[in-house]
Amino acid sequence: MAIDRRKIAVFGAAFVLRLLLICIFPSLPDLLTGRVEVSTPVSSFKRLQEGLFLYTRNVSPYDGGVFHQAPLLLPLFALLPDAKSSPLPTAIFYFLVDLLNAHALISISASGQSVQSRLHSAVRKHVRWDGVSVAALFLFNPFTIATCLARSTNVFTTSGILFAVSNAVGGNSINAMLALGFASYLSLYPALLFIPLVLLCYDRRLQGPAPPNSTSFIVQHGGLLLATVAGLLGLSCLITGNFWEFISATYGFHLLVPDLTPNVGLWWYFFIEMFDSFREFFLGVFWLHLASYVGGLTAHFRSQPLFVITSLLGIFAIFKPYPSISDASLFFALLPLYRHLFPLMRYTFFAGAAILYSSLLGPAFYHLWIYAGSGNANFFYAITLVWSLGLSVLLADVIFAAIRDEWEQENPERVGLKVRQV
Amino acid sequence: MALKSAIRNLRNNPYLLFVRLPNLLSLLCIVVGVVWLLLLPLNEYSRRTYISENALLPGQVHAYFTGSEQNIFRGYKKELEGLLNDGQARGGQKDEAEVTAAVSDKLQSILQAAGLKVATQKYEYTSAGITHQGENTYAIIHAPRGDATEAIVLVAPWMTADDKLNLNGVTLALTLARYFKRWSLWSKDIIFLITPDSKSGTQAWIDAYHDMHPASVQSLPLKSGALQGALVIEYPLEHRFQTLHIVYDGVNGQLPNLDLFNTAVAIAGGQMGIGANLQEMWGHDDSYKHRLQTMFRGMTKQGLGYATGAHSSFMPYHIDAITLQTKGEGWEDEMALGRTIESLCRSLNNLLEHLHQSFFFYLLMQSNRFVSIGTYLPSAMLIAGNFTLMAIALWMRTGYYPETKPAEPKDGKTDVAEPKDMKVSVEAKTINIAERQLALPLSLVAGLHLLGLVPLWVFNNIFHQYFTTTTYIFVVVGIILPLILAAILSHGLGLSKPIVPQQYHLIKSFSLLLLGLSLSTLATLNFSLSFMIGLLCAPLSFVTRVQSSAPVRLATSSLGLVLLNLLSPPTVLLGVCGYMGVSVEEVLTQAAFGWDVWGLESGVVALDMAHNYKGCKE
Repeated sequence: MAIDRRKIAVFGAAFVLRLLLICIFPSLPDLLTGRVEVSTPVSSFKRLQEGLFLYTRNVSPYDGGVFHQAPLLLPLFALLPDAKSSPLPTAIFYFLVDLLNAHALISISASGQSVQSRLHSAVRKHVRWDGVSVAALFLFNPFTIATCLARSTNVFTTSGILFAVSNAVGGNSINAMLALGFASYLSLYPALLFIPLVLLCYDRRLQGPAPPNSTSFIVQHGGLLLATVAGLLGLSCLITGNFWEFISATYGFHLLVPDLTPNVGLWWYFFIEMFDSFREFFLGVFWLHLASYVGGLTAHFRSQPLFVITSLLGIFAIFKPYPSISDASLFFALLPLYRHLFPLMRYTFFAGAAILYSSLLGPAFYHLWIYAGSGNANFFYAITLVWSLGLSVLLADVIFAAIRDEWEQENPERVGLKVRQV
Repeated sequence: MALKSAIRNLRNNPYLLFVRLPNLLSLLCIVVGVVWLLLLPLNEYSRRTYISENALLPGQVHAYFTGSEQNIFRGYKKELEGLLNDGQARGGQKDEAEVTAAVSDKLQSILQAAGLKVATQKYEYTSAGITHQGENTYAIIHAPRGDATEAIVLVAPWMTADDKLNLNGVTLALTLARYFKRWSLWSKDIIFLITPDSKSGTQAWIDAYHDMHPASVQSLPLKSGALQGALVIEYPLEHRFQTLHIVYDGVNGQLPNLDLFNTAVAIAGGQMGIGANLQEMWGHDDSYKHRLQTMFRGMTKQGLGYATGAHSSFMPYHIDAITLQTKGEGWEDEMALGRTIESLCRSLNNLLEHLHQSFFFYLLMQSNRFVSIGTYLPSAMLIAGNFTLMAIALWMRTGYYPETKPAEPKDGKTDVAEPKDMKVSVEAKTINIAERQLALPLSLVAGLHLLGLVPLWVFNNIFHQYFTTTTYIFVVVGIILPLILAAILSHGLGLSKPIVPQQYHLIKSFSLLLLGLSLSTLATLNFSLSFMIGLLCAPLSFVTRVQSSAPVRLATSSLGLVLLNLLSPPTVLLGVCGYMGVSVEEVLTQAAFGWDVWGLESGVVALDMAHNYKGCKE
């Protein structure tokens, strides 16, 4: 009961904090919506409004060339009152989605899969935070709050991923695939999480009473994911009418990266600078690079599929075509599950300082570039590099800690020993 | 090899590595930062100015504003003088509003007669219980060769930045309006703006021009295109002048493009033969001392970030603007000033795009000598870097270096070398990584910084009469609060567990990290402010617990406390006010006005700093 009370307190405080923020600073949501760090072309609430406007007037939402999000969001938001005249219902809807995400995080944490799974058992099992603390870290993370207030549609992808994971660790593999299908339908890239997720489901099933055949299990779930996505695409087709138009405006937009609006990622500057003839080649290279981590990490951390998902989310936050701080906030949400790895990490302070520096200097340099006119694009790009560096150092550090943890598990007599590279 | 063994020695001596070395390095950073700044005025480090935008062609055209225009000038001046004297002579009978209305009507009729489109705008600002109100009059010449997409602004405030009546300036603007209207060569619209004062009038107008005005300011009925540049004319003298004084500092330390300043200097000095001065340096002999003095004056203005004239309000909208002030007693008349402005307008008229070629970040030390950001930024960054360095050192110290001197000092040598692959060798010593207790330090530092919002809110919302008292209250609170906090933290007082040394280091580490963070961000936006705050905060890096016998400890720590209190923001404010001989109330009224009207940000920074102090005093 006491735990429940804490959960209610944390959720209530998070809700009230968000409510206070929008009541005290009514212009804050619109300000954040306009920030490139928070809103990308594929998640911007402003663009969603544009699509919604066209949709409610029976014009194809993709006609203007501005809207690039999944069509199923449109009927959902058409139900909510107009965000311009009455912003509160939409805001509260987003708050609730955040709380739902936190709830999913609590169930992921409660399952204990991060410290003890079928094939793996961490050395420092006892060093961990409980679910409510993990949820509190997620809910009070400034990046999460900014994403929520900016009403970025990324939060739905986040929910899809978190629910997929929470269902997978709970042994509910069908729901996990449905949720992953929803996330992939919204943003495409979560489909890359399929392999670790299905392994997570498989490991979980093997712990149960009736162990399934591995091949058929994977094929079944792959089919289920495809069916989910196909079903959602069918529904979207009913809404928009023109199948190819929406495919090219949404997934084509994700894949071919035509909009080079600045964001915190590494793609935009690179593709602005590139000669057009090499564009297709490098698009292939960049996507291949992003996808290639899946195989390597899954193979190396076969015993810890949840850790693979966490580190992949970190990689996506760095190397996605349209990343924003919401991707980083998802990565930061899953990190506290690995509290037991923290003592093994070495550069947290440096990574943290780099992330802090870039989150202060980023807006400053963007201001100098766009508003004051006294800087230029290189200022902002340099800071996105620092941001990515901070995230990469953190990610590499976690992966190092996980490897060290596995090593200590294999060599129990050497736990806590000092190691030195030869 | 020698280096390698030196590094090995370092690793074997944790005290040196974690305590001595960072202190030394930070001190070095500060010293190098300051020396760097002092080197800047030397010929080797500063550069001569040059016109970067070729389209400007300063002084390449003949200025025709002469002869008969002087008669028009005199005529207009008589008319305006008459109206003003009329109001003064009758004293009590006619109130100010009536005079203002009559003058405003006169301005409008003159501008209309010259063939310009005229409009007015009323505004009102309230700050610290004082109301500033007035009415702007402005007129537009539509460009015969343009499409009304770009415009230049000429501003003539009735009151100069030093609160003197700018009758000649306003008259000159009227004469120029009539004169410019007859030229067919303008490719940009020219806007003539007459404001009642130098502080709020231009701000109201420029806000309304971009539709960013508050409700108490009227919208503009008449607009033109994007503003490319603005010139403010100030001629408050009743006699002929000697030199032009060019003022260029904007709000929050923003500066206009260096090309605009250079053009003005080139035209005034080269074409017209009037000398140009800056930063009130009249007898500049190009010596090191004078250069340094000019630079410091510029840095002070930039650091304080207040508006130095009517032009300052234009800067936040990315409109380059300068004020031309007439100074001294000489033989240059209003016609020379008029020709200078004509030539400047012709140069601006030539622009093909917004001024962007030259520098936006610079320090001027002579009218023809400057240093650019690449040369001066390292000094502020070094000072900001010293805090980050200390923060990192303290962090590492909490992790590796045991606070109480252990029996075997080699225990401190315990950092994990990077094993990039799994080929690792193992030493038979255990890792002594201390788990850090982060919750208390993190929340304390965050809480203290949030507390900084209280003085900000208070100073911007109370009436100006109470400013002095409030400042003293904050001084007292600033002295007492850290002591109470320190007592609570170190003895518990039944409220919490006593603090352990590690947490003390972490508190300091986080405060210094945040300080370094904000200073380096600030350095890119407002170099001078960052530099000044950095220097004031420099002792924070070296504040530490003294470990010696009780009386010595008491003496040193109380000495340190006194020093820190002397350097804390409210005391510095009082000290500077006492030194300069201005009242605290006046300064704070200005600051509140700045916050309300100009969006001045430096105050926030200063208050933030206050709380860094508190965090570090523990």
